[in-house]
Amino acid sequence: MKRKMVSVLLSMAMAATLAMPVLADDAALTELAPNDKGAEELTLWHYFDASADAQAIIDFCNEYNQLQDAVYINPTYVSRQELMNQYTIGAVSGELPDIGMVDSPDMASYISLGVFEDVSDKFADWDEIENFYPGPLSSCKDADGKIYGLPQNSNCLCLAVNMDVLKEAGIEEIPADLDAFKEAVEKTTDAEQSRYGFAMSAVSTEEGTFQLLPWIVATHNGTKTSLSDLTAADAATGLDVLGGFVANGQMSPECVNWTQADDYNQFCAGKAALAEIGTWHLATIADDVNGAFEYKVALLPTGDAGTSSSTIGGENFGICTGCKNVDEATNFLKWFMSAEQEAKWAVQAGKLPIRSDAEPVYDYEEEGFQMFLDEMNYALARGPHAEWPSISEQIYTAAQKVFLNGESAADALAAANEVIAPILEANPLPEQ
Amino acid sequence: MAAIAKQKTRGKKNRRENEGYAFILPGIIYMILVVGYPIVYNFILSFKDTNVQNLAKGTSVFIGLQNYKELFSNPTFLLILKNTFIFTFGSLVFQFTIGYLLALFFYKRFTLAGPIRGLMLIPYMMPMAVTGLLGQNLFLQDGLINEILSWFGVGALPWLTSTATAMVAVVIMNCWVGIPFNMLLLISGLSNVPDDVYEASAIDGASKIQQFFRITFPLMKDAILAVLMLGFIYTFRAFDLMFIMTAGGPLNSTDVLGTYSYMLSFTQYQFSKGSAVAIVLFLCLMVIGILYLILIVKGEKDE
Repeated sequence: MKRKMVSVLLSMAMAATLAMPVLADDAALTELAPNDKGAEELTLWHYFDASADAQAIIDFCNEYNQLQDAVYINPTYVSRQELMNQYTIGAVSGELPDIGMVDSPDMASYISLGVFEDVSDKFADWDEIENFYPGPLSSCKDADGKIYGLPQNSNCLCLAVNMDVLKEAGIEEIPADLDAFKEAVEKTTDAEQSRYGFAMSAVSTEEGTFQLLPWIVATHNGTKTSLSDLTAADAATGLDVLGGFVANGQMSPECVNWTQADDYNQFCAGKAALAEIGTWHLATIADDVNGAFEYKVALLPTGDAGTSSSTIGGENFGICTGCKNVDEATNFLKWFMSAEQEAKWAVQAGKLPIRSDAEPVYDYEEEGFQMFLDEMNYALARGPHAEWPSISEQIYTAAQKVFLNGESAADALAAANEVIAPILEANPLPEQ
Repeated sequence: MAAIAKQKTRGKKNRRENEGYAFILPGIIYMILVVGYPIVYNFILSFKDTNVQNLAKGTSVFIGLQNYKELFSNPTFLLILKNTFIFTFGSLVFQFTIGYLLALFFYKRFTLAGPIRGLMLIPYMMPMAVTGLLGQNLFLQDGLINEILSWFGVGALPWLTSTATAMVAVVIMNCWVGIPFNMLLLISGLSNVPDDVYEASAIDGASKIQQFFRITFPLMKDAILAVLMLGFIYTFRAFDLMFIMTAGGPLNSTDVLGTYSYMLSFTQYQFSKGSAVAIVLFLCLMVIGILYLILIVKGEKDE
């Protein structure tokens, strides 16, 4: 009997650790205020899981619930992967939240699957929409220009530089073109200190594609590579350089399993002299580096001097099909994405605003944020395209073939092109 | 009079027979709804061209065997089919042999045999997701496995970053879970072999090895078949281990039918193709299931 009790207790303890959310080890979050007014409840699903944005979403919902009496917005955290599954299943079963967050390149697929509702008429006479940047906004529209939600935040990728290591290696300036970058990575690699020159994510998910794209759509000899022609003369140059890093022990082959959090952690731990990081990392980088070295953020040196390339990331919020109260849900979005709230969000969660009239005053990492804002001018939006996931798979597969099997970058991209070209021929990517 | 009585009993007997059908009805309805319907739906879906473009519009059409043709001419799918068999047989061979040896060992009633046997079950009790995360960390470039190998002068292996070794790492993790499971079932199989047979054979002068091959092994045939069968089914439809540990990578080297079907349906929204992969998985398991039934029926006839 006693033994049974012990085993029951043990298994309960095990189950409890499993049930604990990822957020548990972060500093306690302020909680969502209860629905005291008995207002109609609208559910909102999101996957904000960094401490800064997870707190921000609760704060913003609390503020809005306080502000008006018509509805009560109830934010629920669902992990990104699970959220995507739920949308796909919901497309058939109809079980969807009222408002749903989605990674911007995935929105086109979900619009096509019928997950989001056409709310064009609700935004028809809302002239503030003019102030939204066209790139992020286009990811909320379908091919006919109908609108299904609003972009909420955007971000892109920059180069993080360990200035101490760079100086030690005798390099005075942060690399500004691909050749200088190659040299810097070579000189900062130090096997004895188990430090790689460069770290990035090339994992077989959208995250990998996000980080790989800048190196593919770069400008070489004055020509910018386009995704629709991966067999062009200089299309393979960037991937070839990255493949060389892995082959020469200047970048860890484990990058094929690294998420963006992993490559950022490698940088903060001093295990990589240079790394590709996202805007959202600025919210925590000072704490994570913790004074161990001086760091700077720079434009990604992906090609010719004076050029750069990056990828636009960010999240959209869409009104889901079957939403209980479309009018109030759109009102919430109009408030949530107002210039004032956008500016506040950008500072609190470490993101960039998606409208030109939002003017965030960052009280930390000002230089870094400015660099990301500059990089946005060179950043490419993924899609919008309903078959983006299939295109994405080809990109990271090509890179992994180069990194792991030592295939030539040109061959790997040519193989990718064979799948991507017909998809884009049937439904071309929008001009950008 | 006798005839009437006979008729009565027959009537009663018939009614009893019909009652039997009523008793299995809930089970049948449950099976049809929960198992039958999804399988039939999946079959139908696999003959259509449902994808991200036409699911909402409902304009998908029947395209016959087109999905299957495309799959079997796709080198990635053939690789994944091969992976599935390598993973299954690799896991089965090691977890069965090691599990059997441990079962023979722990069947001996020595001090602490019981508690140690219980402790060995921990890997089996662990959720697969935890096992996957554990495997991910154990097999890192500077992880524990490479550290241990370095004690013996073996250089660091690129376990999860090489298409050649990733599958080995996944099979090792799966064996870690499967060995206790095999051991447990085989121990219960062993306990079904009566002791007096051993005593009789010992008197007849049989050696330990003869006892094992002539008594233990044949008398455990049913248990062994069941273990292998269950092991095959569990392993063949594996999903969570590789989903967490390697996400099928690098370069599909640890992708199996389960993960590939999921990827097609839930990442690329090629629902019909994902269904076709699931059907291939289903058919493979059905063949094994039928084989098992034939063996059982044959075994019963022999007896």
